[in-house]
Amino acid sequence: MSEIKLLFAGPMGAGKTTAIRAISQIEPINTEVANTDFSESGKAETTVALDYGELALDNGHTLRLYGSPGQRRFEFMWPLLAEGALGVVVLLDNSRPDPLADMNLFLDAFSRQIGAGRVVVAVGRLDSHPQPGLDDYAAAIAARGEFLPVLEVDVRHRADVTGLLDVLFDQIESQSTETAADANEDEWLQLIRHARPQ
Amino acid sequence: MNQISRHLPPSLKSAIDEAVHALHQRVPAAIGCVVATVDGRLVSQVVDNGADPQRIAAMIGSMVALGETIGREVRIDRSEYVVVNALNGILLAQRVPGRRALFVVSTLARTTTNLGLLLHETRTTAAAIGETVDAWLDHYQAATAAAS
Repeated sequence: MSEIKLLFAGPMGAGKTTAIRAISQIEPINTEVANTDFSESGKAETTVALDYGELALDNGHTLRLYGSPGQRRFEFMWPLLAEGALGVVVLLDNSRPDPLADMNLFLDAFSRQIGAGRVVVAVGRLDSHPQPGLDDYAAAIAARGEFLPVLEVDVRHRADVTGLLDVLFDQIESQSTETAADANEDEWLQLIRHARPQ
Repeated sequence: MNQISRHLPPSLKSAIDEAVHALHQRVPAAIGCVVATVDGRLVSQVVDNGADPQRIAAMIGSMVALGETIGREVRIDRSEYVVVNALNGILLAQRVPGRRALFVVSTLARTTTNLGLLLHETRTTAAAIGETVDAWLDHYQAATAAAS
């Protein structure tokens, strides 16, 4: 039995705590406190250190799910939480003023620690705020010289969140196929090969 | 990140500033004192060693919340304060008590300072700030009720 670490990142209010709660098989650990900055979000509470949950995979391994605080002032937590992570789900809130800038901020933040391509971008509240659309996100990612999956998500729905993880695993596996000639396959890549959330 | 306490009433802000300066004066070998909101926004600070008060504010918000979460998770009940004991200094952080408990306070001092004294002075200041915040809330609620 082994453990794989994944990180949910993104701006405040994007749904990181909700996403982990939707799929965790243990009662999640969270560090929510009163939100005093309503210019950032109207939420009553906000995560200031981390969220943590666990999810069993069908191959007997365990996913350790970490969520990061979203506000820029907590960026000191981001590399601490990303240390040793296999991949990142970047959750975005399309109702925020500039979600494309949010995406670039978080892709930049984790680019050095997370292997190239080990990222999936998930956009919420597209139904109420259709612009920018998924094509705009894909174009913005392409402009960075990257090719990452972009999906619409409602983090309140477990199937949506596990679907994100499926796509992330496929993305990581496809990356490993492309670099298979390098041998020395990442130990974790071997673990997640064929693994899916239960 | 450069704004300090955007929505704090001036009278409350000046009372907290006064308490922070007094704490800094009372603690021997103090390097700094910072008050922040529980979600890591800087409210008031005196920091002498060049450390960034905005970053300290965010970190003490995380530290206090993490200490409280760990206390619950390991079933040792409510965390009262968190200490970082480093080679060249001590940082102590705790929540400001009160009805809303919306603030945290921290004191940073050289290692020549006695930890018990640091805890006593920080706790005393936290209690004083808490009473000030509660008094302001009472005043605010009374004024709002009178106006309606």
